[in-house]
Amino acid sequence: MAATAEVTLPAQQLPPAEAIVEVTPDDMEGSAPGASEDHMLIAAESYEDINVAIDEQYQRGKVGDEKDKGKNEIEQSVRKLSIDDRSTTPSDEGRETPKEEVSAEGKERSNSMLGNRDRPQHVEEECYSPEWRQRQKHVFILSEAGKPIYTRHGNEDKLVTTMGVMQALVSFVQDNDDNIRFMIAGSHKFVFLNRPPVILVCVAHSAESTQQLLLHLTYVYNQIISVLTFSQLSKIFEKKRNYDLRRLLTGTEKFLDNLINLMDRDAMFLLSAVRCLPLASSIRDIIGQSIAQAKAKDLVFAILVGRDNQLVTVVRMKEHSLHPADLHLVFNLVDASTSFQSAESWTPICLPKFNSNGYLHAHVSYLDEECSACLLLLSADRDVFFELSEARQKIVTRLNKYGCLQAVRESLSKGSYKVAQIGIPDLRHFMYKSKSTAQYTSSELEAPYMEEGERHRLFGMYQYLHHRVHNSARPLKILFHVGSKETMLGWITSGFELYATFGPLVTKPAAINAINKLLRWIKKEEDRLFILNSYTY
Amino acid sequence: MAGSRVDCKVVLLGKAYGGKTSLVERYLHDRFNAEMPYQNTIGAAFGAKRVEVDGKLVTLGIWDTAGSERYEAMSKIYYRGAKAAVVCYDLTDDASFERAKFWVKELNDNEEACKVYLCGTKLDLVQENRKARKVDYHMTTDYADEIHAEVIETSSKTGFNVSELFEKVAEGFARDPANRQTVQISSSGPQYPSTSFNKGAENFQVTEQGKSRGGCCS
Repeated sequence: MAATAEVTLPAQQLPPAEAIVEVTPDDMEGSAPGASEDHMLIAAESYEDINVAIDEQYQRGKVGDEKDKGKNEIEQSVRKLSIDDRSTTPSDEGRETPKEEVSAEGKERSNSMLGNRDRPQHVEEECYSPEWRQRQKHVFILSEAGKPIYTRHGNEDKLVTTMGVMQALVSFVQDNDDNIRFMIAGSHKFVFLNRPPVILVCVAHSAESTQQLLLHLTYVYNQIISVLTFSQLSKIFEKKRNYDLRRLLTGTEKFLDNLINLMDRDAMFLLSAVRCLPLASSIRDIIGQSIAQAKAKDLVFAILVGRDNQLVTVVRMKEHSLHPADLHLVFNLVDASTSFQSAESWTPICLPKFNSNGYLHAHVSYLDEECSACLLLLSADRDVFFELSEARQKIVTRLNKYGCLQAVRESLSKGSYKVAQIGIPDLRHFMYKSKSTAQYTSSELEAPYMEEGERHRLFGMYQYLHHRVHNSARPLKILFHVGSKETMLGWITSGFELYATFGPLVTKPAAINAINKLLRWIKKEEDRLFILNSYTY
Repeated sequence: MAGSRVDCKVVLLGKAYGGKTSLVERYLHDRFNAEMPYQNTIGAAFGAKRVEVDGKLVTLGIWDTAGSERYEAMSKIYYRGAKAAVVCYDLTDDASFERAKFWVKELNDNEEACKVYLCGTKLDLVQENRKARKVDYHMTTDYADEIHAEVIETSSKTGFNVSELFEKVAEGFARDPANRQTVQISSSGPQYPSTSFNKGAENFQVTEQGKSRGGCCS
């Protein structure tokens, strides 16, 4: 809210490219800083999921398109917009209207064997609590039958009626062979993601665009898949539409909470990219080699991640690449839990992009006492714990021998780099994504973005910038945005995405000059900031 | 399973928030942190400890499993080939004992050779306040007799009965004639042969592939 309020001046828009071409060195496009032929990560585009989902629905819809074009009443009562200018399309899922069921289920409590949640019979709904209503962003998960599964704020048991209304909205629109995407009411956005057998809803009054909120919901959905796999999830609801999924998700709430909190402050989700821990390339090579040498049966991925979700390296089976969205879930797993710090763990994890119907088995351990770097060895074989444990021991020995863990610790304690190091006056902060490698780098947040509120506002500005340049109806190549507190520049080329923050008084030519200087600096530092060569098994 | 470094596989089973991780922390590292907020275990955590029984060394490989129901379908990974199972229940939570009975049945059905130890946790809470006890001691011993198990009540906070529990487990293992070949004389160096354990694991794989467990809702 604060963030959007700041966007008072109309964003000025440069004519695409022309203005830039003169000042951009020609060779910049060809060799974007941090570009690489390496296929460690899949080069992911922002919103790719959302677009795919919409395309799928669109394709499916074409079949039954003609039969019901009659505009439904809901459009009068609800201001419904469709993303991408495509009309929303019918879904072919067979479904009965479970409206009556909703109220019945409100009373019928599952007698969970766990029984560790309070399930009062008569409770006041959360929506009467002013505190709850004022939350900036809500995320809800419910079953297709309208049964509460998760809420970010408050208690699901006090949301039975509210979620019933959400389910009714979704099914009402579905009855007209249509899909509800989102509604806007005042400053609030209501975004729906219908992924049978679950429905995800986000209600927010924040800086994000509806697409960005949809991206959040997609991640939340993927987190559920990561825990249960898609096949298990659908099987459960095939057997019993009424199933209380919370039984299976006990202990998962903190991963959902943590993921949603991370998405509110970490740009990796927005950019569909990962941030690497800055390391001398020689050190990173030794780490990659050491991990690659410790082979084990059916080892698919080995991931070494430092504090604050900074990737040290990924070693992979030659034929497989890792999708950044999967890697984000792995980061979240490590970030959300301290239980890996005490012992070696062995846990199933599903990487939805890799295979949404099966588990990989992860050997998870920290490599030193300070818990600076966490190693995950992901195998397709569920019986190789001890093999992996031995491999891990070899890796630790090698890394210590060559001082690599020491280097990792040093880099972690130093933090990212200060923007002053680059020597560009007026540049306050930036984020740079190399598209071909799906990696990004960003400078440390410094004054005036030291306070939580200001950081949040700046992040909101980046979200706004990202939204404007990625607007599918009207994508921009470059956007120069003059705000009252800072001037921002977003620039998209075939090789990179760059978002930069300047002081409020910077002129357009000065900003362009600064950006060119910045690109040269990143090019110079690319070996340290990006993983350009990866190792394979 | 090359490289396994364990003689006696011990698995901890029981309802979430039943104190399994605290029990292992107390036993392996002799620590208990009352301030630390509850952290549910993800999958399972592994720890090993060598103990001496009758002059022989036995390495206990302890699997601390997650209590959450969603791992139920995969729990076989963790308990198969186990020589001993410590089935934990929270003395202040009667539902946790029902859950313990579920695990006992599961073990009896799938892992006959596995010795069961029923372990009541959080004894300190019950000693502080008698009314907090929700699981009757005599009821648990009656049940234990029925299933040929032992009962031991522990407190990870005070450490009461914790090492005794694992000593019992180790003794039960070492003194069982079936395991004689795996137990070695303590003077013969740090090699941990684990033949019988390996065999068990291999046999299991064969049967495991045949019947895949589907959903986990009932």
